[in-house]
Amino acid sequence: MPGTPFASDALDNITFSLGRGSFTLLIGPSGSGKTTLIQHLNGLLKPTSGAVYFDGKKIGADKAALLSLRRRIGLVFQMPEEQFFSETVYDEIAYAPRNLGLDENKVKERVVKAVERVGLEHKDLLDRHPFQLSAGQKRLVAFAAVLSIEPEVLILDEPAAGLDPAGKQKLFNLLYGLNRSEEITVLVSTHHLDEVAALADYLLALKGGRLMMAGKAREVLARRTELQGLGLALPQVTEIMDQLSVRGLPVRKDIYSLSAACEEIIRVKRADQG
Amino acid sequence: MSRSITLGHYLPGDSAIHQLNPRIKVPVLMVILVILFAIKTLTGLVAMLVAVFLLFAVARVPFSYFLKGLRPIIYIALFALIIFIFFTKGGVVLFRFGPFTVESEGLWQGLFVIIRLVTLVLFSLLLTLTTTPLSLTHGLGYYLKPLSRIGLPAEEVVMIMAIALRFIPTLIEESQRLMRAQVSRGADFESGSIFRKAKNLVPLIVPLFVSAFRRADELALAMEARGYRLGARRTRLHEDLIKTQDWLVLLMALLLLAAVIYNQYLR
Repeated sequence: MPGTPFASDALDNITFSLGRGSFTLLIGPSGSGKTTLIQHLNGLLKPTSGAVYFDGKKIGADKAALLSLRRRIGLVFQMPEEQFFSETVYDEIAYAPRNLGLDENKVKERVVKAVERVGLEHKDLLDRHPFQLSAGQKRLVAFAAVLSIEPEVLILDEPAAGLDPAGKQKLFNLLYGLNRSEEITVLVSTHHLDEVAALADYLLALKGGRLMMAGKAREVLARRTELQGLGLALPQVTEIMDQLSVRGLPVRKDIYSLSAACEEIIRVKRADQG
Repeated sequence: MSRSITLGHYLPGDSAIHQLNPRIKVPVLMVILVILFAIKTLTGLVAMLVAVFLLFAVARVPFSYFLKGLRPIIYIALFALIIFIFFTKGGVVLFRFGPFTVESEGLWQGLFVIIRLVTLVLFSLLLTLTTTPLSLTHGLGYYLKPLSRIGLPAEEVVMIMAIALRFIPTLIEESQRLMRAQVSRGADFESGSIFRKAKNLVPLIVPLFVSAFRRADELALAMEARGYRLGARRTRLHEDLIKTQDWLVLLMALLLLAAVIYNQYLR
């Protein structure tokens, strides 16, 4: 609320760019401005000063330009299943393509494709009521409801919040797949590095509305004390490797996924025996 | 969206007016409203207008709030002015449009009513700007209590009002969030005919209701878990004491009322 006694700077002095086809993680503790920043990226919010550029063009107030922008940038909100309003999963996913003004055949094509892309069985799912689904399924349907726009850029705000570990893993693997096989640019915000740290190319760390760190994921993740200073925990598996090396097992410490950790421990063990 | 509901927006502060007990503020406002209707002279009304300006300064409310609070009544004020100008006759004829005449009496009375209306709104605005909705409800609820003798569940009514007030900002925030989410999915809430617009609101209203019901459910559970029972006597964390200055303010308001009545009607 600019111009009132309640006004405050939510974001301050933030500059970064996302490369086409990259996988970027936006990390920061709760209240650091991740959601606010994300909503600037498809023109939902306009910066009071400064500018956001997409594909060389400034994101401005022009309505037609904003509409076409939102066809190219898909934004998945936090807890996206709370937006459900349709009576069937089909209608829920069809909402976005119908808003694009496609005819019903095209809409159907897109719905089926989106459901397949998120890896759901669509046999009887499409006719069910969205509220009957499990939490993990709801999240995937909500995700499909944005994928049906067929965007070039996918931005997800805390996509794994409230999911069980298996659901989280599945969701992130899905995102990684979309990023690598279809070259969709992905930006994910999270305050939890588990499961996702190993997937990212780039990392942006936000705190108090300021960009504290930015760079290649491996480089940023190596600056541990700084990350911990921001109130962010490293992935558990990284902490374990750290402890192992402290206790004398000569493992590498830049391990961010379970599978990499397994390989590393086996490597060290084999070297030990041989 | 949240900007359009300035009327009743609390502005935090620690001025003497903020600290008045709401149980006193409410009757004081009543007394002032009676005074405003009792005053029959323009000088008296202007004095009250000056008084409310001074009180706004004491409460350190920015001038912009003052103007924003008046915005909703502009049309009512204009309407009243037009009615008075054209339909109240007497005094000197000022203008003449064909069969219509504007006479000085009408203009004076129109201005009088507008000043009364503006002063009235400003005093009410001062109350809501300096009192949290919650303590305002408690202040009002205090006067509902005697009604529980004739079967009105006063405590519960106050609780309902307090919860309703508490959740207005939450629901506004929620609807903004939902609106943005659906806009990201290509929704358009602005263009089209009125029917089209109404239909377009479905993706907003359905989730809003779903979450409101879910919230209500959770809140009811949480309240029961913390021992809330219908009809039980409740105590308050912050003791609601009426201090000497509160009594003084009430006394001053009543004295002013007495003075106005004596001056305008009895002398």
